[in-house]
Amino acid sequence: MSMLALQGVGRDFGGLPAVDSLNMSAERGRITGLIGPNGAGKTTVVNMIAGLLKLSRGQVLLDGEDVSTREAQELSRMGIARTFQNIRLVRDASVRDNVLAGFHLHEKTSTLANLLGLPSAFRERRALLARTDELLDRFGMTAMADWPAGSLSYGHQRRIEMMRALATEPRLLLLDEPVAGMNDAEAYKLAAIFREVADDGVAILLIEHNMRFVRRLCDHVCVLASGRLIAEGDAESVINDPRVIESYLGS
Amino acid sequence: MSSLAGYEPLFELALLNMVLAFSQYIPLRAGVFSLGSAAFAAVGAYAAAILATRYGVPPVVCVVIAVVAGGIFGALAAVPLARLRGVFQALATLALVQIVLSTALNWTALTDGALGINSIPKAVHLTEAAIAVVFVGYVLHVIGLSAIGRGFDIIREDETVAVSLGYSVRKHHMIAFVLSGAIAGLGGAMHAFSSYSITPNEFGFHMVVMLLAMVVLGGRVSVFGPVVGAIILTGLPELLRGFQDYRSVVQGALLMASITFLPSGVVDTTRGWLRRRALTRGQAGADAAEVTS
Repeated sequence: MSMLALQGVGRDFGGLPAVDSLNMSAERGRITGLIGPNGAGKTTVVNMIAGLLKLSRGQVLLDGEDVSTREAQELSRMGIARTFQNIRLVRDASVRDNVLAGFHLHEKTSTLANLLGLPSAFRERRALLARTDELLDRFGMTAMADWPAGSLSYGHQRRIEMMRALATEPRLLLLDEPVAGMNDAEAYKLAAIFREVADDGVAILLIEHNMRFVRRLCDHVCVLASGRLIAEGDAESVINDPRVIESYLGS
Repeated sequence: MSSLAGYEPLFELALLNMVLAFSQYIPLRAGVFSLGSAAFAAVGAYAAAILATRYGVPPVVCVVIAVVAGGIFGALAAVPLARLRGVFQALATLALVQIVLSTALNWTALTDGALGINSIPKAVHLTEAAIAVVFVGYVLHVIGLSAIGRGFDIIREDETVAVSLGYSVRKHHMIAFVLSGAIAGLGGAMHAFSSYSITPNEFGFHMVVMLLAMVVLGGRVSVFGPVVGAIILTGLPELLRGFQDYRSVVQGALLMASITFLPSGVVDTTRGWLRRRALTRGQAGADAAEVTS
């Protein structure tokens, strides 16, 4: 069974379908690419899966369970994590604190223990900080841990978004243009990390413009144009598909 | 020391204002635009004053009851008000202040109306006020470091991100309202035990604006924000004594200037600046070491 399956999914804005009759899936352990020209509806798809937009039609299945009407917070508890295309961090907080915020779902101590400042709350904080530092190390950002997130470059801010999403230990990871604004060397370093995450059994849905990156990384690629799926398959065949070339370059 | 002793009432006032400012600080930190602290303070002050003057309840017990009453009132207010946002929330909580105020004015059997409640025993002095500030400040500092403080910060900055990381906005906003109510209940009760008498009008628009100004001026992330805000806005009228009639004008102008140039507040701006400077120096040191090695 697919980790994520969309069945006949559609969403209208002001009566016009932004996404329509979309069927696609993402498998555990694989990186699925979702590509398409600007305005194709890619981010709309991510927002629907993450519960930030209601579906107009169709169903979203997570591991076989219909989650179409769930709220974003529930979906996050069920193992869906995402990054945002327009970076959304607590700009004045340090890199470390931003990543630490992602561990919320793994906090076990009670609200009361936190309000009273009981030792258990502090122990947990230390444990989560240790895990935060592991993530920082994995993304090569230990040296920047104390800097305010907003003072760093786009590339580094995107990495913070990814660390924060990974901190939730998701089953399904939605990456919305994770390497935009990075050079190839930086992007491929991240690609290695995505591959490791997928190898741990996580299903990754990757939205990307950078074709070289998609070609190199994705096991399976879906192409969206004007809200509809126009092609899917392995990266090579999709990229050479005449309909895909037409949608990107115009006829 | 004798010259300082003359300022004792002023110090006491500043400390009591800090407690009330803490009550305004908590919702703002959590992204709740509540102006309800004055209403919660009125509930605490009246509960304490009535229990002490009519039933002879010892002040300590009165204060504890006032804290609980404030907290419960905050929780009740949160049920309809926590779901609101921004300007709507500000207006609705302002309406709550109005409701509490007119209740205090018109329920004369309980509150003696506009005359207020008089001859409340003087049980709060400088020491008690200082203990309250340190206690509340410490509790808020601990909460700020905890998982709840992290929730407050991320919800304030971006609710969409918060829910996508699994934070319950409703739960955190409820906690903010209850804490705000309990702390204001404490501040109100201490005010009653410090000033011999209370009247409804003390808990009106003037207090709403004053508390809001203290937190905005001081800063809404660090616990020291409301402390510094309370010191400035309590001390300023004294410093401006010479200006007499223009005092409010000068005070208002200073507030506008500081909000324009220090939108994060005095404390948060200073802390951010110090942190950046320390990091830049550390960076420069590391770069220099790299060059020489």
